[in-house]
Amino acid sequence: MRTATLQKSDLDRVIDLLSQADYRVIAPQNQPRLEGPDSIDVATFQEVQPGDSHNIGEGLSTTGIKPFLFPKDEPLFAYENRGKKVVLTEVSLDFPKTVILGVRPCDVASVSSLDAVFSDKNAGFNDELFTKRLEKTTFVSYSCTEPDVSCFCTSVGLAPDSDKGSDLHMTELPDGTLHVEVKTEAGEKIAAVIDSLLSGEGDAVARQQAGVVAAEKITRLRDSASLLPWLQDLNNFGDEMWQRLGEKCLGCGACTFECPTCHCFDIVDENSGNKGYRVKFWDSCQFDHFTLHASGHNTRNSQFERYRNRFNCKFKIYEDVFGEKGCVGCGRCIRGCPVNLDITEYMAEVAQKATTSAS
Amino acid sequence: MSNIYQPDLMTIKKVINETPDTKTFHLIFQDEELQENFEFVTGQFGEYSCFGAGESTFCIASSPTRKGYIECCFRKTGKVTNALFDLSEGDTIGFRGPFGNTFPIEEWEGKNVIFVGGGIALPPLRSVIWNLLDLRDKYKDISIVYGARSVADLVYKHEIAEWEERDDVNMVKTVDPGGETDDWDGHVGFVPHVLENEFKPDPENTIVVVCGPPIMIKFTFEALERLGFKQDQLITTLENRMKCGLGKCGRCNIGSTYVCIDGPVFKAAEIDLLPPEY
Ligand SMILES: Cc1cc2nc3c(=O)[nH]c(=O)nc-3n(C[C@H](O)[C@H](O)[C@H](O)COP(=O)(O)OP(=O)(O)OC[C@H]3O[C@@H](n4cnc5c(N)ncnc54)[C@H](O)[C@@H]3O)c2cc1C
Ligand code: SF4
Ligand code: SF4
Ligand code: FES
Repeated sequence: MRTATLQKSDLDRVIDLLSQADYRVIAPQNQPRLEGPDSIDVATFQEVQPGDSHNIGEGLSTTGIKPFLFPKDEPLFAYENRGKKVVLTEVSLDFPKTVILGVRPCDVASVSSLDAVFSDKNAGFNDELFTKRLEKTTFVSYSCTEPDVSCFCTSVGLAPDSDKGSDLHMTELPDGTLHVEVKTEAGEKIAAVIDSLLSGEGDAVARQQAGVVAAEKITRLRDSASLLPWLQDLNNFGDEMWQRLGEKCLGCGACTFECPTCHCFDIVDENSGNKGYRVKFWDSCQFDHFTLHASGHNTRNSQFERYRNRFNCKFKIYEDVFGEKGCVGCGRCIRGCPVNLDITEYMAEVAQKATTSAS
Repeated sequence: MSNIYQPDLMTIKKVINETPDTKTFHLIFQDEELQENFEFVTGQFGEYSCFGAGESTFCIASSPTRKGYIECCFRKTGKVTNALFDLSEGDTIGFRGPFGNTFPIEEWEGKNVIFVGGGIALPPLRSVIWNLLDLRDKYKDISIVYGARSVADLVYKHEIAEWEERDDVNMVKTVDPGGETDDWDGHVGFVPHVLENEFKPDPENTIVVVCGPPIMIKFTFEALERLGFKQDQLITTLENRMKCGLGKCGRCNIGSTYVCIDGPVFKAAEIDLLPPEY
């Protein structure tokens, strides 16, 4: 498919043109986290209008794009109790045509993981709140040139310049221009909208080189090939490592909320008088009540068991059940953990145990 | 309707008070077409809701051979079950289902089948018991070993009496020591104990279906293995906490096994391959 050159300074114009073409444009934006002098700026994905600031291609976003496909909370339907009768009203599944600009390779790769859970590929049940949003969303991804110390995408089969799941992929070259690659029909439509800003065929060699240079900057390297067979051996479920490494986990759930592939949710009624909404909202396998039975029996009774589940979900369950990556190596759970619990520490230890037992 | 989280509406046709904290609802769909066409297989469950309180997971306690209605039987334990408990005849509830796998009753044809249940765990067994009794010729001896903490805690008292009356059912009932009343005519003792020491079933050509709290399942399986039963003769249901019933909310998994999709019915041999998170 088509490749071309785009000037980085034209990214503002890209937002203008896409907005004019009736796309809702989502892009990373720096925003102050707190009021006052202690405030730090954090980058999150936000809806942007022409003229708004953005930091596409600058730094890594604190939160990912998950909320635009699987919102933190959303109504499933409305109900009204009328005496002995109940009236239900469906929610609209008509979502706006959306483009997400400047998605990092790890985040765009996570979309197919979420899709494997929410779409009918999973047991035939189609969560249209997710899939209809996805149908309307186009992903314009942007290679990383400055990965962070927590990043480890290259250890999970991705790279700072991978385009898995992308519709249109951009890579910043040393001369400041962007090498643009159209990957899908949806990407083709975006290219048509911004056609006036595109020129030539780009520079495939420089693009390749930029990927190599970026990958060399990643210092957190783990062998993930040994993880699945080790985790699939039931004898290792009781390994002492789980308790030793997992003991410090507080069960705060930060890692799960920031993770692009974590998909757990709860369903509750938000009631007011005789009516309300049934709402689906993010939940976390790290919370102690998550698996608590009504009888008081808890199938994952201590915190290390909950973390063991999270690790297994990332490197075994996702692969066994959904045939997809459970971890895209974004490093958010490492950056966000208040007690520095580090998923790659587990990876390293498993790899070591796997080699020791093999030899 | 395309929204997988939106329930169908059902009317409570009849409420049966089973014990002071347990009720049975007899339910029919409000949508006529669904009422005509609804089908399920024994062993499956549903998400039942009281609008304003939320959803709860119960098995379908009636037999698929009895068409035109479903029944659920639940114990008051928390927010949703308390709200459901307060509903009465004519009220509306929500239902999503049927979900999950099923009891492999075709595989049991020509065999003796023993049902072992404790406390509130009779509902899943009741569905399959009636299913087999409605196809009585296909099975050899049918036995039911059922126990609860006390006489007051026994559910389905009318049906227990009916099963005792029948000469093609072997009904063994028991209450925990101290739970008996003066006129109690059943056994006194914990279910696994009564099963092993008083009922003493012969493993030859026999399937045992066990439902109850995890601890009861464990002791019952151990007792049966001492009696010579092999793992492939033993079947149970698991009740990991659920929300969606659709394999999406991530709550009910035991390792890579999702109880809402791959269960709730499991063979003992399958359970042995699972990490101990049930
Ligand atoms: C496959 C399957 C089949 C089942 N079949 C049946 C059946 O046929 N009959 C039956 O009776 N049960 C059945 N159950 C169990 C049933 O689903 C639960 O008992 C029921 O959903 C819990 O009731 P609830 O929603 O009212 O409780 P909830 O209010 O949701 O409470 C559930 C748990 O949360 C805790 N909790 C509640 N509120 C709070 C709070 N404010 N703070 C802290 N903790 C709180 C409770 O202590 C309890 O442990 C089945 C379960 C499964 C998985
Ligand atoms: S587990 Fe951690 S590193 Fe992996 S995708 Fe989730 S947040 Fe990113
Ligand atoms: S691993 Fe860290 S971020 Fe995740 S729940 Fe435990 S303490 Fe919180
Ligand atoms: S109940 Fe939601 S995944 Fe099983």
